[in-house]
Amino acid sequence: MRQVLVIISFFLVLLSCSRDDVSEQIPYDNPEIPLGIPHGFPPLNGSVNGNKPTRYGAELGKKLFHEKRFSGNNTISCASCHNRSKAFADNNIQAIGINGRVGLRNTPPIQNLAFMKFYNWDGNILQLEKQPLVPIITHEEMNSSILEVIRKIRDEYEYKDLFRKAFGDEDITPDRIYRSIAQYEYTLISANSKYDRVKRDKGETFTENEERGYQTFKIKCASCHSTELFTDQSFRNVGFPLNPSAEEAGRARVTGIAADFMRFRVPSLRNVEYTAPYGSFGQFPTLRAVLDYFDNGVLDADNLDPILKENGNRIPLTEQEKQDIISFIKTLSDSTFVRK
Amino acid sequence: MKKQPNYLSLSLFLLVMVSCSKDNDNPVANNIALHFNNTFKNTTIVLGDATSSTATANTSAEGQIHHFSELKYVISNIRLIKADGIEIPYHINNLDQGATVVNQAKPQTLDFVLRNVPASEYKQIKFGLGVKPELNILDEARFPNFYAEAGANDTEMHWEWGAGYRFTKLEGFYDSDHKEISIHTGSTVEGTNGDPDTYTQGVDAYRDITLTLPNHAIVGRNAPKITIKADFDKLLSGKINTITLKSKTGGNSHSDDSNATPNVTSAVQMVKFVDNLGGNGSSDITGIFSIGSVAN
Repeated sequence: MRQVLVIISFFLVLLSCSRDDVSEQIPYDNPEIPLGIPHGFPPLNGSVNGNKPTRYGAELGKKLFHEKRFSGNNTISCASCHNRSKAFADNNIQAIGINGRVGLRNTPPIQNLAFMKFYNWDGNILQLEKQPLVPIITHEEMNSSILEVIRKIRDEYEYKDLFRKAFGDEDITPDRIYRSIAQYEYTLISANSKYDRVKRDKGETFTENEERGYQTFKIKCASCHSTELFTDQSFRNVGFPLNPSAEEAGRARVTGIAADFMRFRVPSLRNVEYTAPYGSFGQFPTLRAVLDYFDNGVLDADNLDPILKENGNRIPLTEQEKQDIISFIKTLSDSTFVRK
Repeated sequence: MKKQPNYLSLSLFLLVMVSCSKDNDNPVANNIALHFNNTFKNTTIVLGDATSSTATANTSAEGQIHHFSELKYVISNIRLIKADGIEIPYHINNLDQGATVVNQAKPQTLDFVLRNVPASEYKQIKFGLGVKPELNILDEARFPNFYAEAGANDTEMHWEWGAGYRFTKLEGFYDSDHKEISIHTGSTVEGTNGDPDTYTQGVDAYRDITLTLPNHAIVGRNAPKITIKADFDKLLSGKINTITLKSKTGGNSHSDDSNATPNVTSAVQMVKFVDNLGGNGSSDITGIFSIGSVAN
């Protein structure tokens, strides 16, 4: 009987020990990161309020964003295509995933996503938290699965520590992975370009070319590339050369609406200097090539954007105007954003 | 040690109880075996590659000869309706237990056994072609078995960019020059279709099927077998749409709605195929499906 008591006491001591460990883990100072919404930016995507970035949530998200074990053969991370020095895009024509597999479209930059209503070229994703799974499982991207990813990282101390700091315990769940990556991405706000400093009257001014370019831009580009994000977030068919893949249908791929055929989300022009080539599958090697194409005339279509239709399927631009517009667009480059 | 005799008597008591229930003439539950018979009209389909001489060929209402090399679809959300009208759901919120991929290339997938169905007489069966929107999110952690079954390399029923499941995947050939047919269906819907408060975009390709049994399936001492016929003649020559396949000629314009591209891998032109396969939810709630037989 005494022996039994001794054994029971021993277990009780063990139990109380582990209880103490748990209670030590729970309180952790994990403050929200203020997003510092730039002046004139559109309202936040509603999902941000349900997943506000926190210090450790975003730190974990950043680590996961750079985690090559997200891919089946541990070679590709999110950052492989979304490279900070390229405004979180890359310079490939179409995205290149595991084993050199080529994706359907050009990699979109990751910036100011907290203010976007739609994600990707066709707007198939409306909440950023729903995006990370897609590249993880896609054959041409990471070709893995979320449980495979979790199996690979779950025993690593640094992850356990960050999951505990971010979410209160060490459980590594799919949802926490998606939420932390989205938190990190919400913090990636680019609003410190020369354009912004001129606008904020910080003592900088446009050069003559830039100023002329800005005026031309407002007349010939800003119908679509509007707001402080330089996109009105609409979907338009602007008659660009067509992706030969039978899988491509533009916005109609998602909506099934015939009028959305080959419509694509108007891309933001912020940091566009860093993200060549351009177009949904990298049709244009340079900004100049895009402007030349608009000037020469675009492909006709039933649902070609009305603005182009009204102007003979083109945006006429003089040599000087092209040079000026490119000078202006380069003032949208945020060198501090890409160098962090 | 003193207490062991008590355990022994308890065990004996339980054994007696168990044997009693075995003797019972009216078990509380039994299985229903579903068998899927995939046909062109009344002929069970044989798959084959482009030039196969053994593949089952079919001619559409518009005269297009076609056959399949791949034929797969997802069945889920199964409900059995008792003679008194009460609906018995079969793991409708658990894809691991209540959903399956029917794959004509794998004979074992043509049979799906519903286990422990309450003893009763059943007059109808309802099921979904595809996965209902609230479960259609590729949640590997929640339903690892169905996720793995659907995602297997020889099955390919993950619709990655749609972050959901493919509901049907039909590959094949048409016309004498064996042009490719590739019809993939799946949902892209955000919110609830038809509800303006939640609907934001996309197509809901899930279809609810209701089939009335020609004779009651009587679950009790026997385990009935219900053969469900899926007549793929209706893919092109359906109750909703009569489809002519027309290869894409290129161009930047949306396609002529009177014809259908033979390559459907997104929401574009998908609905006319979905409605033929699974009905439109109102005037047609059977699509390609009918009851072949109910054997008690």
